[in-house]
Amino acid sequence: MSLLRLSQVSLQYGPAEGRDVPPVLQGINLDIRRGDFISVIGRSGSGKTSLLNLAAGFLSPNLGRIEIDGRPVTGPGAERAVVFQDDALFPWRRVEDNVALALKLAGVPREDRLVRAHRWLADVGLDGQGAKQVWELSGGQRQRVGIARALAAEPEFLLMDEPLGALDAMTRDQMHELLLRLWRQSHAGALLITHSVEEALFLSTAVVVLAPDPGRIVLHEEFGYGRRFLDGEDPRALKSEPGFIAARERLLSAIYQEEHA
Amino acid sequence: MTDQTLQIPPAAPRRQMPWTSLLGVATILGVVALWSLAAGLGWASPVFLPAPGRVWAALMRAATDGYANATLLQHVGASLWRVMAALGCTMALGVPIGLLIATSRVGRGILDPLIEFIRPLPPLAYLPLIIIWCGIGEPSKILVIGLAMLAPIVISTVSGVRAASESQIRAARAFGATRGQLVREVMLPAALPSIFTGMRIALGAGWTTLVAAELVAATRGLGYMIQSAAQFLVTDMVIAGILVISALATVSEFALRAIERRYLPWIGRA
Repeated sequence: MSLLRLSQVSLQYGPAEGRDVPPVLQGINLDIRRGDFISVIGRSGSGKTSLLNLAAGFLSPNLGRIEIDGRPVTGPGAERAVVFQDDALFPWRRVEDNVALALKLAGVPREDRLVRAHRWLADVGLDGQGAKQVWELSGGQRQRVGIARALAAEPEFLLMDEPLGALDAMTRDQMHELLLRLWRQSHAGALLITHSVEEALFLSTAVVVLAPDPGRIVLHEEFGYGRRFLDGEDPRALKSEPGFIAARERLLSAIYQEEHA
Repeated sequence: MTDQTLQIPPAAPRRQMPWTSLLGVATILGVVALWSLAAGLGWASPVFLPAPGRVWAALMRAATDGYANATLLQHVGASLWRVMAALGCTMALGVPIGLLIATSRVGRGILDPLIEFIRPLPPLAYLPLIIIWCGIGEPSKILVIGLAMLAPIVISTVSGVRAASESQIRAARAFGATRGQLVREVMLPAALPSIFTGMRIALGAGWTTLVAAELVAATRGLGYMIQSAAQFLVTDMVIAGILVISALATVSEFALRAIERRYLPWIGRA
């Protein structure tokens, strides 16, 4: 089983005007296996997005190691797909061509890649929307295209940087269901950066709380609400459970404790 | 599965308000009326300011009988060919230069100072040098116009490449895009709106340089027609030539805008 491992990872941006800048992240240890769904929460500035950028290979750590199955990560790779907060779609391409981008870059013939793109579009609930232009879609639909584009590359790891941050509450709920279904279907390991404690708790097999100055893990706890939802339990009932509410308070405490410490 | 989000249709292309167009037409009519009045009341000698009717007659004369060895259509054809050939050559050179400046430190180090050197030079300053180096043939004329167009194309390309968002570039990198694929699939398309703006500015610069370019032993062209008329104080023909250049520049500007709307429909919507 594939394993994305961060070992004793520290990240520090360069010194500003001769002053030493504190590390953005320090001593991070995190394992993400295929089949895991790990959410990272924490205050602004705690290094959540930097953590994702390290895992994606957009940044290199100053200290520590990032490995996939023992091989060092030296940059972005097709086994790790990224979903961005601002969807990062290409408006000069139609929806289907956005989804097929990874396949095009990999040299897959146009006919094949369009067939696969349409299949992924159907999977995210956008059947028949492939010929549309990106700007004809709503915010929620655009994020679905971003997710379909990431999954079309058939990655081992799906890295998501607050992909639902700009969506309204109802659309977010729909997207939760979609994300969980696609996660189970793709067997990918997922890393989700989010500001929503409830979202993290509901979706994830484990939630990691980061505290700032320097960014470090202060809580790492496992949960199973997403799997229970996929097994047919009602999401509202799950979110009303005393255990869910207690866990949410625990996570919030971990965030606020650091804030008031 | 359907989205419950409020569907906001994309903004319709902004239409020019009718009164704005009317104001433009009224301004032109006002200038022509003032011009007619000035010529009619003899405020200036007809040698310096011929009446609009005389300019129109000169235009018709050039169109039917010709002026300075060619008909108006032949002059227009020669000038259009030079400006469009210069635009084509400059695009072929300027866009890659802009991409190199925007994507490579070495490219920026080598090419940026050269563009900054060329950018402020007036065409009449380098015209003699081009005649000495390249002779008096057609390439010299195209080169003079092309040099005036180069900086806007390069600068707009550089600016356009930088318009590609960090997440768009990262998305392509995450899918394993090579440097060439990154330029082809992300940076160049992202730069197209800016390149089109650069083309429009370059075309304007090209038309303003036309008369200077046709100083070089031309036998046809609107610039040549204007200069020939000026030598003999045929002011109505000079003004007719100026009006034709202005009309051609306006038509080419509208054509570029139409192409932009047709092929870059995402501008202002994405």
